[in-house]
Amino acid sequence: MSQQSTDPLDGLADETGDENGDGPADAPAGRSARRGPAMVALGVFGELLITLGLLLALFAVYSLWWTNVQADRSADLASDKLRSAWSAPPSAAPPARTYAAGDGVGFLHVPAMGAGYQVLIRMGTDADTLAEGVAGVYETPYRSAMPWDPSGNFALAAHRDGHGAKFHDLDALKPGDAVVVETQDSWYVYRVDETLPETSKYDTGVVAPVPEGSSYHSPGRYITLTTCTPVYTSRYRMAVWGSLVRVDPVDAARTPPAELR
Amino acid sequence: MYGWIWRHLPGNTLVRAVLALLLVLGVVYVLFQYVFPWAEPLLPFGDVTVDGPEGGAG
Repeated sequence: MSQQSTDPLDGLADETGDENGDGPADAPAGRSARRGPAMVALGVFGELLITLGLLLALFAVYSLWWTNVQADRSADLASDKLRSAWSAPPSAAPPARTYAAGDGVGFLHVPAMGAGYQVLIRMGTDADTLAEGVAGVYETPYRSAMPWDPSGNFALAAHRDGHGAKFHDLDALKPGDAVVVETQDSWYVYRVDETLPETSKYDTGVVAPVPEGSSYHSPGRYITLTTCTPVYTSRYRMAVWGSLVRVDPVDAARTPPAELR
Repeated sequence: MYGWIWRHLPGNTLVRAVLALLLVLGVVYVLFQYVFPWAEPLLPFGDVTVDGPEGGAG
């Protein structure tokens, strides 16, 4: 590329001279005839529209791809950390059973959402926690019962799209499907009893200790998975309810229960 | 707008193309790093929790 101006845009700039020389008298002939102010305004308006379109397209790329990359990276790191913390003491005292917001609790396995599907479970459902590609344990409006509690509802939320999109396929769950919660020392095997395809985002009863709107009417050991629906929006919420079937102790090789094999 | 930027970039076409690419990358970086994370909670696409009217995004 020579230093000489061979670029048509250069030529245009040269012909039109300085930016202020755009009076009608300066437009003798040919393509150097300057556009009127209305045409210039229209051109700028068009460029703004193009810019807006590019901005929206970039936002879609950000929401549906980049937040997944970030969330998966952060969740993988946190998962490795939790697993190495579990394996660090060979046979230490029973694990602490109190968790602060943000603490890793264990892993959620749902074979119906894909073989090998595994999501880190963390306390809290605030935006920052869920943005890290985890399933968050509800602490408000109802404080969830933990799987080892004698009764109550272990309620989880995760993103449908973006930020790891861990519950993207939550609608694939059907009654009878297995949902397994893995903690340091136990496999909690739940069976899906009921799904609620669509409800209001104000329907907080779905995560109540005895979920409202479900067929459960007495206290029990339940699990609730919530996310937004339909996909790519936050208009409604969906919920999946299950109840505890059994608890398997974790063996030395962490052999998964039959539902995950 | 874009023509004005192009005319005010220094150098020949190659230099301008490189500078324009750097400008685009810079804008995309600022958008992904600062603008979109700020804008996201304000937009109704990422709420997944059930909560009361006073509850924020989830």
